[in-house]
Amino acid sequence: MFVLIAGGGRTGARLANLLINQNYRVRLVENRRGLLGYLHQELPTEVIYEGNPVDPSVLEAAGIREAHALAAVASDDSTNLAICFLGKTMFDVPRTISRVNNPNNAWLFNENFHVDVALNSADVFAHLIQEEMSLGDMMTIFKIRRGNYSVIEEKVPVGAKAIGVELKDMNLAEHCVIAAIIRNGVMTLPRGDSTLQAEDEIIAVASPEGAKKLADLLAFPVYPTRNGKKKEE
Amino acid sequence: MNLIIVGCGRVGAELCYHLFKSGHQIVVVDINKESFNRLNPDFRGRTLEGEGLAEGVLERAGIREAHGLAAVTNSDTLNAVVAHAARTIYNVSNVVARNYDPNLRAVIEAFGLQTVGSTSWGAQRVEELLTNPSQRMVYSAGNGEVEIYEVLIPEQWNGRTLGELLEPLKQCYPVALSRAGRASLPEVGTELRTDDLLNVSSTFAGIGALTARLSNKAEA
Repeated sequence: MFVLIAGGGRTGARLANLLINQNYRVRLVENRRGLLGYLHQELPTEVIYEGNPVDPSVLEAAGIREAHALAAVASDDSTNLAICFLGKTMFDVPRTISRVNNPNNAWLFNENFHVDVALNSADVFAHLIQEEMSLGDMMTIFKIRRGNYSVIEEKVPVGAKAIGVELKDMNLAEHCVIAAIIRNGVMTLPRGDSTLQAEDEIIAVASPEGAKKLADLLAFPVYPTRNGKKKEE
Repeated sequence: MNLIIVGCGRVGAELCYHLFKSGHQIVVVDINKESFNRLNPDFRGRTLEGEGLAEGVLERAGIREAHGLAAVTNSDTLNAVVAHAARTIYNVSNVVARNYDPNLRAVIEAFGLQTVGSTSWGAQRVEELLTNPSQRMVYSAGNGEVEIYEVLIPEQWNGRTLGELLEPLKQCYPVALSRAGRASLPEVGTELRTDDLLNVSSTFAGIGALTARLSNKAEA
C-alpha cells in the first residue's frame, strides 16, 4: 500500500514514521524550507518530496497516480481542502483523509471537497478531555469512524449498580457491547450470563449514548470530593 | 446587484469601491479588520470581520441573497475553496476567484472557476509596453491570451491590401479599420492608407509578428 502525505509538519512526519514502521510505502510532500531540515533528520531521504503539495504537477511527480490513500495534513485548511479535491477529481485517489485545523472550518470537509474522512484534532481532543471530566474513570482508548463509536476502558468501582447483574440484563445492547473483562490481570471474553465484580476492568465498544448508560451503571455510588474522600449524602 | 467580496487587500478594496460607484450593494469580508482601512472613505457598504471559510460567515455576509461573489485574497487555495463553496453549497452562479501566484493557476482551473490573474496579466502588459511601445492594447480577453490591439499603418504599406499584410501571419485576425474617424469591417481586398488605424485580434506572438512586418522596410 502506497500513501501520499501532503504536509510535513509534526503530524505529517509522525504519520510517515508510523506507516514506514508498518512497511507501507510512503511519500511526504513539503516545500517549506524551515521544515525540510527537520524532516531530513526524521525520515529517510527517499520518502521526502520537495514541492508545494497543492500544485497538481508536484502531486503528479510525487506519484499520486499510484497512491492508495492521500493524507492532507497541512496546517492550512483551504490547502487541505484543495489537495483532497485535486486528489479525487484529477488523480482518482481511492481514499482521502484530511486534518481539520480550525473546528469552525469543519463544515466544509465533506463530499463537496471530496474529503472521505475528516479528523478534527481540536474537536476530538476537546471531547476526550470532556469525557475524562464527566465520566469518572472512563477512558476512551480510541474513536472509530469519525468519532461516532469509541472503544472505552473503565474500572468497576465498589458499590456500582452493575455489580452482580448479568450482562444480558443490563439493557445495553443497542448502544454498547462489553467486549472484555480483565479480572486480576486475566482477560476473558464475556457471555450474556457473565457478571461484573468490583475492581474488574472492562473494555467496551460504545456510541455516545451507550457510553453514558455504561457510565451510569458503573458510577461511584457517591461522587468523590476533590480531596479523595467520599461525600456524605 | 448584491455582491460579496472576500478579501480586502489592494485588489479587494479597489474592486469594492468600483462596484459601489456603479450602484451595487457590497459586503466585504476580511479576517483582519485593519484591512478595511484600505477602503475609500466614500465607500458605503457592509464590512464583515471573519474568515471566509468559517461556518456561518458567508451566511452572515448574505450569500443566500447574493448575485455574485469574488474571492480576491492573496491565498489561491482560499480563493478557490470559498468560490467553490459559494457555487456548490449556495448555488451562486456568478463567482470569480483571483489567481495570486501564477504557479498555482492550475489549482483554480481544476475547480473550473473563472479566474483573473493580475500578476501574470500585469507582467504581460508591462512586457508589451516595454518591447512594443507603438501598439496599443484596447481589449484583453481571458487572462490576456488573446487581446485586441490598435496599430497605425505606416507609409510603406500605403496602397497595399490588408490580405497582403495579414496573410502570412498565423495568430492575427482583422477586427476593424478606422480611417479619418470612421470605422469599417475590413476585407482581404481592402486597400490600406498611411495613418489608418487597424484593430486586430491577436495572441502575443501574433502581434509581435505583425509589428515586425509593419516596420520592416526591406520586406515592404
